[in-house]
Amino acid sequence: MRNLHVLIFLFLTAVFVPGARAQYDPAKVCRLDDGKMVFTIDRRWNAAQIKEVSTIFDLDSALIAGAFSGKTSLVIKGSAWTIRKVDATRFDLEKSTGATDQRYNRNEIILVDDKELRIAASALRESEPYGVNRLTFNTVIQAGNNRIRFFLPGRQNARTIYLSGSFNNWSTMQTPMLKTDSGWTVTLRLAPGKYTYKFIVDGKWSSDPYNKLRENDTHGGFNSVFFCYNYRFILKGYQSAKSLVVAGSFNNWRTNELKMIPYRGSWVLSAYIREGTHAYKFIVDGNWINDPACKVNRPDGMGNLNSFFSIGDTMIFRLNGYQDAQNIVLAGNFNGWNQGELFMTRIRNGWELPYVLGPGNYEYKYIVDGKWMIDPANPNTTGAGEFTNSFIAVKPNYTFTLKGFSGAREICLSGNFNGWSQTGYRMNHKNGVWDFSIYLQPGKYSYKFVVDGKWIMDPANELWEDNEYGTGNSVIWIEP
Amino acid sequence: MVRKLRFGFLVLFVLLTLNLGLQPCSIALPGAKAPSCLKIGMLKVTGSPVYDPSGTFLGVTIPLKRAGRLILVEGIIDNIAGNLILDTGAEELVLNKTYFRNYSTTVSREAGGITGTAGTVEKTRISTLRFSEITVNGVMTDLAPLGHLENRRGVKILGLLGMAILKEYEMVLDVEGNELQIYRTDRNGNRLTTTRPAMKFDQIQKLERHRNIMFMTANIAGRPLYFCLDTGAESNVINLGAPKKVLSTVTITRRSTLRGVGSGEKEVLYGILNDFMVGSRKIGPMETILTDLTSMSDYYGTRIDGMLGFDFFRKGKFSFNLVKREIGICFNKEQP
Repeated sequence: MRNLHVLIFLFLTAVFVPGARAQYDPAKVCRLDDGKMVFTIDRRWNAAQIKEVSTIFDLDSALIAGAFSGKTSLVIKGSAWTIRKVDATRFDLEKSTGATDQRYNRNEIILVDDKELRIAASALRESEPYGVNRLTFNTVIQAGNNRIRFFLPGRQNARTIYLSGSFNNWSTMQTPMLKTDSGWTVTLRLAPGKYTYKFIVDGKWSSDPYNKLRENDTHGGFNSVFFCYNYRFILKGYQSAKSLVVAGSFNNWRTNELKMIPYRGSWVLSAYIREGTHAYKFIVDGNWINDPACKVNRPDGMGNLNSFFSIGDTMIFRLNGYQDAQNIVLAGNFNGWNQGELFMTRIRNGWELPYVLGPGNYEYKYIVDGKWMIDPANPNTTGAGEFTNSFIAVKPNYTFTLKGFSGAREICLSGNFNGWSQTGYRMNHKNGVWDFSIYLQPGKYSYKFVVDGKWIMDPANELWEDNEYGTGNSVIWIEP
Repeated sequence: MVRKLRFGFLVLFVLLTLNLGLQPCSIALPGAKAPSCLKIGMLKVTGSPVYDPSGTFLGVTIPLKRAGRLILVEGIIDNIAGNLILDTGAEELVLNKTYFRNYSTTVSREAGGITGTAGTVEKTRISTLRFSEITVNGVMTDLAPLGHLENRRGVKILGLLGMAILKEYEMVLDVEGNELQIYRTDRNGNRLTTTRPAMKFDQIQKLERHRNIMFMTANIAGRPLYFCLDTGAESNVINLGAPKKVLSTVTITRRSTLRGVGSGEKEVLYGILNDFMVGSRKIGPMETILTDLTSMSDYYGTRIDGMLGFDFFRKGKFSFNLVKREIGICFNKEQP
């Protein structure tokens, strides 16, 4: 019983005796008081708590340190702060709200911080490495040549129906559907990949009721998801098998996901698979087998073989000469600059290596017997000095051009696509025109040319916007 | 002789129409506010801009898009397609300078309110604005640099769809449903369409107008406060000059900087509105910004205690009727 009393006494002491325990509640840190903002901080908080408060309320660490060291006033980044001692451990940091001199701009748009919004946006932009559709009715049909027919049955009383999705930048006006006697339809030609979409029926958004594949639209609803296929797995025979699954590096070797279906004496599965080189196997009633029709089988590092297939354009990297070299390796940002992976093959007049790359911009170098060098046959380079790399754009979709400036020694392309690097992408000079081809995802890009170190806007582009230096940036939009 | 004179006047009228770019008005519906019958193409217009919203609809549903918490309407301006921010906080149509830089412009000095601090504004005229089934011809617009909004929200923004265009109609904003309904009304503010009868509202508030912008009264801590209704604002705003009793009910959650069009960075406080009421209806906690609205109050010539933005409008369906001077609200189910 006495022990219980002691415990209760210790608990009450810890809770109520001043100085024994610091109250920490960020919601109570800041208050407004007669034109001043007041932040109450407590020296008993631990380092993590002080750091959190300092981050949330944008309080300079010098200000907090000053308060704890007994200062009574400080000027931080041009703002005057008064520090008042509240008690033995707490301090009030006071500052005038002082915004009365700010002029009202009638066309001002109030934006919240981007942090939370960016997370949502980046999650949506993630590209899927593979996918198969899950339609309960043929509302999306893929025909030859990547022609995709969208069909919404019924809705005969609707006045207008539009199709809106990632393929048309979610335009609400661009893709009207045509009324037929059984529903509404429109056909689009799309590149292989993942697409999200909705119908707009008389102005109202509606996801596809016949599509089970959907994802959160971040506004409380769902977008329907569709994959435009680019590959078909086929395994002939095995007609008595009960289940057949394909698994590979593209889906992390998941064994219960991509189920094949029997079709005319074979098992088949159509799917979208991201461009690149992939290992795979079939699983027949639980037994792993290689694809008997596949000609490329490579070791998996554990004494077995995997079948391999590639989707996309094969780039032939070729280096002429260097007949005396012992080995030459290709390294680039596409393989993490690995120095021991992509060994080139000796050919008659040099060395070469075929390699499949998806659409994008890549930097690379050759390593000739341990010595790094740029590709002498490729005039496109990026970076400067020893950090110069060869540059290649696979399936480029935009070419920047600059006419004139024939006397210039060097012209570089710099923009938000390469971090505004001054030594960004070195342009080619050919027939009086400087040009540079590049692959850009859909979206807005701002850029400038750097002519012998001098930044200029694109004289042929009438779209430009102000920048923080008052010199303007040229602007382009890449549409999906 | 009379017939010849009539013919001569007719020819003269046609020639004048062609030369001066005069266009006959396109529609006149019974009971609708009569649109201006003639618009002057190349001549400078002083005073209020001339708008002529036209279209054969009586009621139309416009799908809305979102970028962050901006509410977007897709539109086409003189064959340039893009998005317009639905912005009841803007008096006029405001265009992004990036896409209309080559238009001839005039610079006007703004009437500056009490302190006269407002500056100049660049204006131009576009031929046609089209969004959904609505077409507006010969519109005077403001020009402003809006590239920073595009860069932060990742969408092409042609401009701000302000009140000068929207005030002609009853507007029903449904943020959760991502749609905007627009109705033509008669001179008493009643819908002309018979297929979509007026809504039954949970709450009806008086709507006031200052320089085209809508204002209403709401209560915090029992105090009646005057709010600007701004669908273009991603956050509510409370004036730092509001009464102490009002500010004491706001939980201040963080301090940061706020960027506005061409106004650089401002220090702002973020908080939670805990005690907000519209009429007798208590509204659940809403995010807010706390900043100084003195200059804005000066500009509109009235006391402004705050602005109601996205976080408020997501609470229900809002009908704005400037003819009836009322705002009707159907609160969403989750709203107590």
